[in-house]
Amino acid sequence: MRDPDEELVQRVGAGDKRAAAELVRRHLPRMVGLARRMLGDAAEAEDVGQEVFLRVWKHAPSWKQGKAKFETWMHRVAMNLCLDRLRRSGRNGGEIAPDTVDGHASATRALDDRQRRERVRDALQELPERQRAALVLCYYQDRSNTDAAEILGISVEALESLLSRARRTLKTALAAERADLLSGLETG
Amino acid sequence: MNEARFMVLLGAYGADLSRWPVAERDNAGAFLEVAPHRIKDVWESERGFDHLLALERDMPVSIALETQVLAAAPGRRAASRGLPVFSLRAAPRWATGGALAASLALGFAVGYAGEPKHDVASDYAHMLSLSNGGAGSIYLTAVGNDED
Repeated sequence: MRDPDEELVQRVGAGDKRAAAELVRRHLPRMVGLARRMLGDAAEAEDVGQEVFLRVWKHAPSWKQGKAKFETWMHRVAMNLCLDRLRRSGRNGGEIAPDTVDGHASATRALDDRQRRERVRDALQELPERQRAALVLCYYQDRSNTDAAEILGISVEALESLLSRARRTLKTALAAERADLLSGLETG
Repeated sequence: MNEARFMVLLGAYGADLSRWPVAERDNAGAFLEVAPHRIKDVWESERGFDHLLALERDMPVSIALETQVLAAAPGRRAASRGLPVFSLRAAPRWATGGALAASLALGFAVGYAGEPKHDVASDYAHMLSLSNGGAGSIYLTAVGNDED
Protein backbone atom coordinates (compact mmCIF):
# COMPACT_ATOMS: atom_id res chain seq x y z
CA MET A 1 0.00 0.00 0.00
CA ARG A 2 1.25 3.47 -0.89
CA ASP A 3 2.34 5.68 1.96
CA PRO A 4 -0.02 8.71 2.03
CA ASP A 5 2.83 10.89 3.29
CA GLU A 6 5.45 9.78 0.78
CA GLU A 7 5.03 12.58 -1.76
CA LEU A 8 4.78 15.19 0.96
CA VAL A 9 7.96 13.97 2.61
CA GLN A 10 9.80 14.07 -0.70
CA ARG A 11 8.74 17.67 -1.18
CA VAL A 12 9.86 18.50 2.36
CA GLY A 13 13.19 16.88 1.57
CA ALA A 14 13.51 19.14 -1.46
CA GLY A 15 13.01 22.17 0.76
CA ASP A 16 9.32 22.90 0.05
CA LYS A 17 8.13 24.94 3.02
CA ARG A 18 4.47 24.55 2.08
CA ALA A 19 4.86 20.80 2.20
CA ALA A 20 6.54 21.17 5.57
CA ALA A 21 3.59 23.22 6.82
CA GLU A 22 1.16 20.58 5.59
CA LEU A 23 3.14 17.81 7.28
CA VAL A 24 3.13 19.77 10.52
CA ARG A 25 -0.62 20.41 10.29
CA ARG A 26 -1.23 16.75 9.57
CA HIS A 27 0.93 15.18 12.26
CA LEU A 28 2.05 17.61 14.96
CA PRO A 29 -1.19 17.43 17.02
CA ARG A 30 -1.03 13.65 17.10
CA MET A 31 2.62 13.60 18.11
CA VAL A 32 1.96 16.10 20.89
CA GLY A 33 -1.13 14.13 21.93
CA LEU A 34 0.86 10.93 22.16
CA ALA A 35 3.56 12.61 24.23
CA ARG A 36 1.04 14.31 26.51
CA ARG A 37 -0.64 11.03 27.32
CA MET A 38 2.64 9.25 27.81
CA LEU A 39 4.39 11.94 29.85
CA GLY A 40 1.47 13.62 31.58
CA ASP A 41 2.99 17.04 31.01
CA ALA A 42 1.74 19.42 28.33
CA ALA A 43 4.92 21.50 28.07
CA GLU A 44 7.16 18.47 27.85
CA ALA A 45 4.83 17.01 25.23
CA GLU A 46 5.41 20.09 23.08
CA ASP A 47 9.16 19.61 23.46
CA VAL A 48 8.77 16.05 22.20
CA GLY A 49 6.65 17.28 19.30
CA GLN A 50 9.45 19.66 18.30
CA GLU A 51 12.07 16.99 18.67
CA VAL A 52 10.15 14.58 16.47
CA PHE A 53 9.96 17.19 13.73
CA LEU A 54 13.63 18.06 14.01
CA ARG A 55 14.24 14.42 13.15
CA VAL A 56 11.70 14.60 10.35
CA TRP A 57 13.49 17.60 8.85
CA LYS A 58 16.79 15.79 9.17
CA HIS A 59 15.62 12.55 7.58
CA ALA A 60 13.24 13.90 4.94
CA PRO A 61 15.88 14.49 2.23
CA SER A 62 16.97 10.86 2.37
CA TRP A 63 13.60 9.27 3.24
CA LYS A 64 12.72 6.12 1.32
CA GLN A 65 9.68 4.09 2.15
CA GLY A 66 10.71 0.76 3.52
CA LYS A 67 8.64 -1.60 5.55
CA ALA A 68 7.18 1.10 7.75
CA LYS A 69 5.03 4.03 6.68
CA PHE A 70 6.29 7.49 7.50
CA GLU A 71 3.59 8.02 10.11
CA THR A 72 4.52 4.75 11.79
CA TRP A 73 8.15 5.83 11.86
CA MET A 74 7.11 9.15 13.43
CA HIS A 75 5.11 7.33 16.08
CA ARG A 76 8.09 5.12 16.85
CA VAL A 77 10.37 8.14 17.21
CA ALA A 78 7.83 9.93 19.43
CA MET A 79 7.22 6.86 21.58
CA ASN A 80 10.95 6.19 22.00
CA LEU A 81 11.53 9.80 23.00
CA CYS A 82 8.76 9.55 25.59
CA LEU A 83 9.98 6.23 27.00
CA ASP A 84 13.50 7.60 27.15
CA ARG A 85 12.35 10.68 29.07
CA LEU A 86 10.31 8.56 31.46
CA ARG A 87 13.23 6.25 32.14
CA ARG A 88 15.77 9.03 32.53
CA SER A 89 13.57 10.81 35.03
CA GLY A 90 12.61 7.61 36.84
CA ARG A 91 8.94 8.44 36.80
CA ASN A 92 5.85 6.81 35.46
CA GLY A 93 3.91 9.92 34.53
CA GLY A 94 2.89 13.27 35.92
CA GLU A 95 0.22 15.86 36.26
CA ILE A 96 -1.58 17.51 33.39
CA ALA A 97 -3.04 20.97 33.62
CA PRO A 98 -6.77 20.86 32.98
CA ASP A 99 -7.97 22.39 29.73
CA THR A 100 -11.08 24.41 29.07
CA VAL A 101 -14.53 22.87 28.90
CA ASP A 102 -16.72 22.65 25.82
CA GLY A 103 -18.63 25.83 25.08
CA HIS A 104 -21.71 24.10 23.79
CA ALA A 105 -22.33 21.90 26.79
CA SER A 106 -24.35 22.97 29.74
CA ALA A 107 -22.33 24.20 32.71
CA THR A 108 -23.26 21.27 34.91
CA ARG A 109 -22.72 18.66 32.26
CA ALA A 110 -19.46 20.32 31.14
CA LEU A 111 -18.19 20.24 34.69
CA ASP A 112 -19.04 16.57 34.92
CA ASP A 113 -17.30 15.79 31.66
CA ARG A 114 -14.29 17.82 32.69
CA GLN A 115 -14.02 15.97 35.97
CA ARG A 116 -14.38 12.67 34.20
CA ARG A 117 -11.77 13.65 31.64
CA GLU A 118 -9.33 14.57 34.38
CA ARG A 119 -9.97 11.27 36.08
CA VAL A 120 -9.32 9.43 32.82
CA ARG A 121 -6.04 11.35 32.43
CA ASP A 122 -5.01 10.56 35.98
CA ALA A 123 -5.87 6.92 35.53
CA LEU A 124 -3.88 6.77 32.30
CA GLN A 125 -0.85 8.17 34.11
CA GLU A 126 -1.16 5.52 36.78
CA LEU A 127 -0.95 2.70 34.24
CA PRO A 128 2.35 0.86 33.93
CA GLU A 129 4.41 2.38 31.12
CA ARG A 130 4.04 -0.45 28.58
CA GLN A 131 0.30 -0.81 29.14
CA ARG A 132 -0.11 2.91 28.70
CA ALA A 133 1.98 2.87 25.53
CA ALA A 134 -0.12 0.08 24.01
CA LEU A 135 -3.39 1.77 24.87
CA VAL A 136 -2.27 5.18 23.65
CA LEU A 137 -1.14 3.79 20.30
CA CYS A 138 -4.17 1.61 19.62
CA TYR A 139 -6.89 3.70 21.16
CA TYR A 140 -5.87 7.32 20.95
CA GLN A 141 -3.47 7.26 18.01
CA ASP A 142 -5.63 4.87 15.97
CA ARG A 143 -2.69 2.65 15.08
CA SER A 144 -3.49 -0.82 13.81
CA ASN A 145 -2.45 -3.74 15.99
CA THR A 146 0.44 -4.60 13.67
CA ASP A 147 1.62 -0.98 13.56
CA ALA A 148 1.45 -0.63 17.34
CA ALA A 149 3.27 -3.92 17.86
CA GLU A 150 5.97 -2.81 15.44
CA ILE A 151 6.36 0.56 17.14
CA LEU A 152 6.76 -1.11 20.52
CA GLY A 153 8.93 -3.91 19.17
CA ILE A 154 6.66 -6.67 20.45
CA SER A 155 4.40 -9.36 18.98
CA VAL A 156 0.72 -8.77 18.30
CA GLU A 157 -0.10 -11.34 21.00
CA ALA A 158 1.98 -9.42 23.53
CA LEU A 159 0.28 -6.19 22.45
CA GLU A 160 -3.18 -7.73 22.99
CA SER A 161 -2.11 -8.88 26.43
CA LEU A 162 -0.94 -5.36 27.32
CA LEU A 163 -4.17 -3.86 25.99
CA SER A 164 -6.32 -6.28 27.99
CA ARG A 165 -4.44 -5.56 31.18
CA ALA A 166 -4.57 -1.82 30.54
CA ARG A 167 -8.34 -1.86 30.06
CA ARG A 168 -8.85 -4.04 33.11
CA THR A 169 -6.74 -1.74 35.26
CA LEU A 170 -8.54 1.33 33.95
CA LYS A 171 -11.96 -0.21 34.54
CA THR A 172 -11.06 -0.73 38.16
CA ALA A 173 -9.59 2.76 38.54
CA LEU A 174 -12.55 4.38 36.79
CA ALA A 175 -15.34 2.24 38.21
CA ALA A 176 -17.16 5.20 39.77
CA GLU A 177 -16.88 7.38 36.65
CA ARG A 178 -17.96 4.49 34.47
CA ALA A 179 -21.10 3.85 36.52
CA ASP A 180 -21.84 7.56 36.59
CA LEU A 181 -21.40 7.95 32.85
CA LEU A 182 -23.51 4.89 32.06
CA SER A 183 -26.33 6.12 34.28
CA GLY A 184 -26.09 9.51 32.55
CA LEU A 185 -26.34 7.89 29.14
CA GLU A 186 -29.33 5.81 30.22
CA THR A 187 -31.23 8.80 31.59
CA GLY A 188 -30.43 10.83 28.47
CA MET B 1 -14.87 -16.72 15.49
CA ASN B 2 -15.96 -18.34 18.70
CA GLU B 3 -17.04 -16.86 22.01
CA ALA B 4 -13.64 -17.22 23.64
CA ARG B 5 -11.83 -15.42 20.81
CA PHE B 6 -14.52 -12.74 20.64
CA MET B 7 -14.14 -12.03 24.34
CA VAL B 8 -10.34 -11.87 24.10
CA LEU B 9 -10.53 -9.31 21.30
CA LEU B 10 -13.30 -7.37 23.05
CA GLY B 11 -11.20 -7.17 26.20
CA ALA B 12 -8.18 -5.92 24.26
CA TYR B 13 -9.56 -3.59 21.60
CA GLY B 14 -12.90 -2.51 23.05
CA ALA B 15 -16.31 -2.48 21.41
CA ASP B 16 -15.45 -0.55 18.24
CA LEU B 17 -14.84 -3.26 15.66
CA SER B 18 -12.88 -0.85 13.46
CA ARG B 19 -10.07 -1.11 16.02
CA TRP B 20 -10.02 -4.91 15.79
CA PRO B 21 -7.55 -6.84 13.63
CA VAL B 22 -8.61 -6.43 10.01
CA ALA B 23 -8.70 -10.15 9.37
CA GLU B 24 -11.20 -10.75 12.19
CA ARG B 25 -13.59 -7.81 11.88
CA ASP B 26 -16.12 -9.39 9.52
CA ASN B 27 -16.30 -12.61 11.49
CA ALA B 28 -16.61 -10.68 14.73
CA GLY B 29 -19.45 -8.56 13.33
CA ALA B 30 -21.29 -11.64 12.13
CA PHE B 31 -20.75 -13.32 15.48
CA LEU B 32 -22.08 -10.31 17.38
CA GLU B 33 -25.24 -10.12 15.30
CA VAL B 34 -26.39 -13.56 16.35
CA ALA B 35 -24.72 -13.61 19.77
CA PRO B 36 -26.77 -14.30 22.91
CA HIS B 37 -27.82 -11.37 25.11
CA ARG B 38 -25.16 -11.99 27.72
CA ILE B 39 -22.47 -11.44 25.06
CA LYS B 40 -24.24 -8.35 23.74
CA ASP B 41 -24.50 -7.01 27.28
CA VAL B 42 -20.74 -7.35 27.74
CA TRP B 43 -20.17 -5.66 24.38
CA GLU B 44 -22.49 -2.78 25.42
CA SER B 45 -20.61 -2.41 28.67
CA GLU B 46 -17.31 -2.17 26.78
CA ARG B 47 -18.88 0.41 24.49
CA GLY B 48 -19.75 2.54 27.51
CA PHE B 49 -16.18 2.25 28.70
CA ASP B 50 -14.96 3.36 25.28
CA HIS B 51 -17.14 6.48 25.64
CA LEU B 52 -15.46 7.24 28.94
CA LEU B 53 -11.96 6.84 27.48
CA ALA B 54 -12.93 9.04 24.55
CA LEU B 55 -13.43 12.01 26.89
CA GLU B 56 -9.64 12.28 26.95
CA ARG B 57 -9.29 13.62 23.45
CA ASP B 58 -6.65 15.45 21.43
CA MET B 59 -6.30 19.18 21.89
CA PRO B 60 -5.22 21.59 19.14
CA VAL B 61 -1.59 22.69 19.25
CA SER B 62 -0.72 26.35 19.58
CA ILE B 63 0.21 28.54 16.64
CA ALA B 64 3.43 29.38 18.50
CA LEU B 65 4.44 25.72 18.56
CA GLU B 66 3.61 25.24 14.88
CA THR B 67 5.66 28.32 14.04
CA GLN B 68 8.64 27.13 16.06
CA VAL B 69 8.52 23.70 14.46
CA LEU B 70 8.23 25.13 10.95
CA ALA B 71 11.07 27.58 11.52
CA ALA B 72 13.47 24.65 11.72
CA ALA B 73 12.23 23.05 8.48
CA PRO B 74 14.83 22.79 5.74
CA GLY B 75 14.77 25.50 3.08
CA ARG B 76 14.94 24.83 -0.64
CA ARG B 77 18.58 25.78 -1.14
CA ALA B 78 19.87 23.98 1.92
CA ALA B 79 17.95 20.82 1.12
CA SER B 80 18.51 20.64 -2.62
CA ARG B 81 22.22 21.43 -2.51
CA GLY B 82 22.88 19.19 0.44
CA LEU B 83 24.75 21.78 2.48
CA PRO B 84 26.80 20.19 5.24
CA VAL B 85 25.42 20.56 8.72
CA PHE B 86 27.81 22.19 11.15
CA SER B 87 27.58 23.79 14.52
CA LEU B 88 28.47 27.44 14.99
CA ARG B 89 29.07 26.65 18.64
CA ALA B 90 31.86 24.25 17.74
CA ALA B 91 33.51 26.48 15.15
CA PRO B 92 36.70 28.26 16.24
CA ARG B 93 36.69 32.05 16.00
CA TRP B 94 39.24 32.14 13.22
CA ALA B 95 37.03 29.86 11.16
CA THR B 96 33.99 32.01 11.74
CA GLY B 97 35.97 35.13 10.84
CA GLY B 98 37.44 33.46 7.80
CA ALA B 99 34.04 32.36 6.60
CA LEU B 100 32.73 35.87 7.08
CA ALA B 101 35.64 37.37 5.15
CA ALA B 102 35.24 34.83 2.38
CA SER B 103 31.53 35.50 2.08
CA LEU B 104 32.17 39.26 1.95
CA ALA B 105 34.75 38.78 -0.77
CA LEU B 106 32.37 36.55 -2.68
CA GLY B 107 29.61 39.10 -2.28
CA PHE B 108 31.79 41.84 -3.77
CA ALA B 109 32.85 39.57 -6.57
CA VAL B 110 29.36 38.55 -7.52
CA GLY B 111 27.88 41.96 -7.02
CA TYR B 112 24.25 42.57 -6.35
CA ALA B 113 22.88 40.59 -9.24
CA GLY B 114 20.26 38.00 -8.50
CA GLU B 115 17.49 37.71 -6.01
CA PRO B 116 18.57 37.06 -2.41
CA LYS B 117 17.98 33.43 -1.65
CA HIS B 118 17.59 31.42 1.49
CA ASP B 119 19.71 32.75 4.33
CA VAL B 120 21.36 29.74 5.90
CA ALA B 121 23.05 31.83 8.57
CA SER B 122 19.71 33.12 9.80
CA ASP B 123 18.49 29.55 10.06
CA TYR B 124 21.41 28.67 12.29
CA ALA B 125 20.85 31.83 14.29
CA HIS B 126 17.25 30.85 14.74
CA MET B 127 18.20 27.35 15.84
CA LEU B 128 20.55 28.85 18.39
CA SER B 129 17.89 31.24 19.60
CA LEU B 130 15.64 28.25 20.21
CA SER B 131 18.21 26.89 22.60
CA ASN B 132 17.34 29.69 24.99
CA GLY B 133 13.69 28.70 25.00
CA GLY B 134 14.07 25.05 25.87
CA ALA B 135 13.84 23.63 22.40
CA GLY B 136 17.60 23.86 21.95
CA SER B 137 18.07 21.18 24.52
CA ILE B 138 15.97 19.03 22.26
CA TYR B 139 18.22 19.78 19.31
CA LEU B 140 21.32 18.94 21.25
CA THR B 141 20.02 15.98 23.22
CA ALA B 142 21.27 12.61 22.09
CA VAL B 143 18.53 10.14 22.72
CA GLY B 144 20.05 7.09 21.18
CA ASN B 145 17.02 6.01 19.19
CA ASP B 146 17.74 7.94 16.05
CA GLU B 147 17.53 4.89 13.87
CA ASP B 148 16.76 4.73 10.15
